[in-house]
Amino acid sequence: MRFSFNWLKKHLDTNLSLSQIAERLTNIGLEVEKLIDPNEIFKKFLIVKIQKAEKHPNADRLKVCNVIDAEDRTFQIVCGAPNAREGLITILALPGAIIPSSNEVLKKNKIRGIESQGMMCSYEELSLKIENSVDGIIELPIGTPLTMSVGDALNFDGGIIDVSITPNRGDCFSVLGIARDLAAAGAGKFIDHPVHSVKSSFAFPIVIGKDNSLELSENIPVMAFRVIRNIKNIESPDWLKSLLKSAEINIISSVVDISNFCMLDVGTPFQIYDLDKIEGEMKIRFAKRNENFTDFSDKNYKLQENMLVSEDTTNKPLCLLGIKSGKKIACDENTKNILIEAAVFNPVNIAKTGIALDANSDSRTRFERGVDKTNSQKALEIVSRLIIDTCGGEASDIYILNDTIYQPLIIELTQRKLQSISGSYISLEKAKAILLSLGLNLINENKESVKFSVPSWRYDLNIEEDLIEEILRINGYDNVKEIPLKSFITNEDKLLKQKNKLSNLKKVLAFRNMSEVISYSFTKKEYAEIFQNHSKLIYIINAISSDFGVMRPSLLPNLLKTASQSINYGDKSVSIFEIGNIFINDCEQHLHISGLRIGNASSRNWLDKDRKFDVFNIKSDLFAALDFYGVNEKNIKIETNTPEYYHPSRSGSIFLSKKLIGYFGELHPKINKMFDISDRIECFELFIENIENNKTKVKEYLSRVFPKIERDFSFVFNINDKIGNIVNEIYKLDEKITKVDIFDLFKMNAIQKSIGITVVLDAKTRTLTEMEANEVSDKIIKYIENLSGKLRI
Amino acid sequence: MLTDLDKLLGSCLLEIEQCKSLKKIEEIRTAILGRNGKLTEKMRTLKNLSDEDKRVVGAKINEVKANIIEKLNSQIAKIEIKELEEKIKEEFLDITMPVSVKSSGFIHPITKVFAEIASILSGYGFKFEDGPDIESEHFNFDVLNMPSHHPARTMHDTFYLNAPADDYGCKLLRTHTSPVENRAMLKNKPPLRIFTIGRVFRSDYDATHTPMFNQVEMLVVDKDVGFAQLKWLIGDILKKFFEVENLKVRFRPSFFPFTEPSAEADINYSIINGKMKFGVGDKWLEIGGCGVSHPNVLKDGGIDPNKYQGIAFGLGIERLASLKYGIPDLRGYFESDERWRETFGFSPAEL
Repeated sequence: MRFSFNWLKKHLDTNLSLSQIAERLTNIGLEVEKLIDPNEIFKKFLIVKIQKAEKHPNADRLKVCNVIDAEDRTFQIVCGAPNAREGLITILALPGAIIPSSNEVLKKNKIRGIESQGMMCSYEELSLKIENSVDGIIELPIGTPLTMSVGDALNFDGGIIDVSITPNRGDCFSVLGIARDLAAAGAGKFIDHPVHSVKSSFAFPIVIGKDNSLELSENIPVMAFRVIRNIKNIESPDWLKSLLKSAEINIISSVVDISNFCMLDVGTPFQIYDLDKIEGEMKIRFAKRNENFTDFSDKNYKLQENMLVSEDTTNKPLCLLGIKSGKKIACDENTKNILIEAAVFNPVNIAKTGIALDANSDSRTRFERGVDKTNSQKALEIVSRLIIDTCGGEASDIYILNDTIYQPLIIELTQRKLQSISGSYISLEKAKAILLSLGLNLINENKESVKFSVPSWRYDLNIEEDLIEEILRINGYDNVKEIPLKSFITNEDKLLKQKNKLSNLKKVLAFRNMSEVISYSFTKKEYAEIFQNHSKLIYIINAISSDFGVMRPSLLPNLLKTASQSINYGDKSVSIFEIGNIFINDCEQHLHISGLRIGNASSRNWLDKDRKFDVFNIKSDLFAALDFYGVNEKNIKIETNTPEYYHPSRSGSIFLSKKLIGYFGELHPKINKMFDISDRIECFELFIENIENNKTKVKEYLSRVFPKIERDFSFVFNINDKIGNIVNEIYKLDEKITKVDIFDLFKMNAIQKSIGITVVLDAKTRTLTEMEANEVSDKIIKYIENLSGKLRI
Repeated sequence: MLTDLDKLLGSCLLEIEQCKSLKKIEEIRTAILGRNGKLTEKMRTLKNLSDEDKRVVGAKINEVKANIIEKLNSQIAKIEIKELEEKIKEEFLDITMPVSVKSSGFIHPITKVFAEIASILSGYGFKFEDGPDIESEHFNFDVLNMPSHHPARTMHDTFYLNAPADDYGCKLLRTHTSPVENRAMLKNKPPLRIFTIGRVFRSDYDATHTPMFNQVEMLVVDKDVGFAQLKWLIGDILKKFFEVENLKVRFRPSFFPFTEPSAEADINYSIINGKMKFGVGDKWLEIGGCGVSHPNVLKDGGIDPNKYQGIAFGLGIERLASLKYGIPDLRGYFESDERWRETFGFSPAEL
């Protein structure tokens, strides 16, 4: 809601300055989003008249001008504007002025050898939006007094206040409403302009009916109409244009401009029909399903039932009531006779219609937040008075469709509740004074409580708490004292413990030189499809852009995007991870952790050999994470069938007691292409929910150490044999086997590999005999030979 | 004979004295004291002597032997020291060679701020509660006193999902963490103190908005909590978080459907040498929204608003992080490259 300070002063008698008013507004919950104080902005600007404009001796396109201000001071200005000419009244910035468009301080300087004592400004340089802006410096109307303030000359009208109105405060969508709230907060006296009825010259001339279906509907509007005949829809007077410009409202024609002005002024929106374009009788009804409607700006809508329209005998909608004016009945410069409608609609109905059609207007904004239920007739008098004063004509009687009497809500305020919500003492007397100043009416009172009736413009006051908010708001939140919370004993926070465990896992990975990334929960459809792995994708219906169109089915695509960006910036090595939710199927969300390593295993240095990350780097990251979760490596089984975004012969699925808990390995080369990454991409994905949280086990410590026996074996295997799984099986052969390590691997030929295995045997509570050790060795050899491995001497 | 022995001793001592290597000295030892050594030879001749001579010469031989052994040991020690010195010289390393200092990756600032907030809130007895990112209209709006077509719903530019609606309405991405309030109230009996931290989503994308951000939300439900306690709590939390004891907090009336009264909390700051400093000056910066729970919100949570009152506070994690750690552009949080991570990330040891 944007308006000028002078406009506000028409409704508020105040001694406060513009900035004091702005502060007060913010303090009562009407947040000032923008404040334009012309006295601040135009401190070093003057209105001047060009007395002489001559060609610059050293430049063809420049002029040397002599200008004069209201105090007869003259300045020499070098100016390049084509319209700089003798007699022009314009605006001069003096050295020291801050030019709004550049935010830079203007300095006195010489231009091509001639001193310029300031700068004459264009609208652009002052950051002013203006229709039909001239090419060059500002041209103020001939006759503009040089004594005028720059702010006034530029229609700042004492300064501009732009207030952000919260959705509950429909009553503040007018200058009058804002003045009323300010007055209640002690910022001045509310000026209650008496409304003088316009003398009616003739009976209301048109039949306006309502459809039967409206009768029992909660959506039946209360409407007031008046006809004005013989007007001249001329251009609006300057005072009106200037006020509307201060509010950034487009100037159209006096009838439309006046109705816009009145809406901003008193809060009731109007619908104006060109009476001569209505054929026959008018009727208010619900729209038919898929009925077509074209608004004044030629936009088409397909209407639905429950949307309110007015129609004439052609049975076609004239207006989408409360939201959009129709094309057919639009006023133009030839309009002579008008029908004015001032109404109150059910806010929910207007909101539903507006949302369904995605149709916005100032009228909808007000109706869906609530327009003063008793103001229609008064508003009609105000707007018709202004139209007749401006455009001439004579008015009809007022016709009311569906007359109802406002039944105010009664709310009781108790001292007890006031005390308990505010947490500190405010007397009922004080509370009463505040509520009365806001326009509530006293019904009755006793020592403990007061009953009030709610004024017709306050849709947001429904329960006692609402009244208490008003009291605190107007009294000032600053005046509520602070009281410490009492201490509170709670039992163990198990969920936080889980969260902290994740934080610790992040530490584990970060200490392994991986950096944490937090990426969007959504991704690009093309990426999601690659990583969906047979699950169903969840799409965002109203996505901002296709980059954010689908919920991520895996953490990988966004990690890859991050990695690809880093590589693009010249990074030779990327090690990142993310812990977060993925989203698939019927709104399932699962907590995943994913790590990614690409490129150089270490930055080039004299200590380490240059080497790229490989599958086994990421595998050890993965196993570090599993180890953190207390998963015993021996219970892990790795299978080689993985989702198709993995490299088929360099990736694995991880099973923990037959449950799939993740994947790891190298990504398929097609992914490299998609993300423009040339190095191999090593990654893992772990499904945290599938890993059972191992409780801390009580461990046994054997202080006496008995000699262990170490045996080395060398076996020949088929090249595709899965040694990791075999190692885990070896553990199961005998409980005396406490450690199995691979100490050597080499490829013998295309089909065979040689593996060196070292096994540690330990009886733990006694010394192992040579014979026992031999027995275990035999078991191992037999097991491996059964698997087609062969012992090499 | 005795003179011979003296001569032998002299020549042996000289030879030992001149020896420079451990290998050589071993050879010398063998040559003197070995089975066929020079001194051993002399010992063998003893048996041909008279008893008297045997005694005298024997004593002399032992004396010579002791001298030689002593000399050998001292020379060995000398050589060892010398050899060690040489070895140490050879082992020279240029210890000014640069090494890699970076030993760990970085923790995201959101994780860091989460840990800080969680630790502060635990101190008041707040317990963590969780809720899903994909919510339904029911939890995101209805139970928060935002009936359908409430204009406040349009304040939140909601992302809707193509998943089928269920009894709880359309599926959407939660626009705030407030649904967790309802879930927590249904789960726990009052009095309660809960908080949550998580992702929220709004259809907004420019220099100051990302379509996803993180919120922290806290709720106290008790018999004796109101606006006065809310003001104290928020002030106390913010002082702890920003580590500024004299931080001022201003409360401005605002509107949230789920609180009545509602307020926006601002903290004071001023710009000193181009940097934001909190707790000084009279400029105000919006930090979060708060209020006394609307009775409908308590009712929907199964709590009798005539017996209990709630106070709630919600704020953006990125905003907190940005203010405390001077992180400029919001987009960097989710589109971070390595430089951003290095600049604004934290060492895992700091977490």
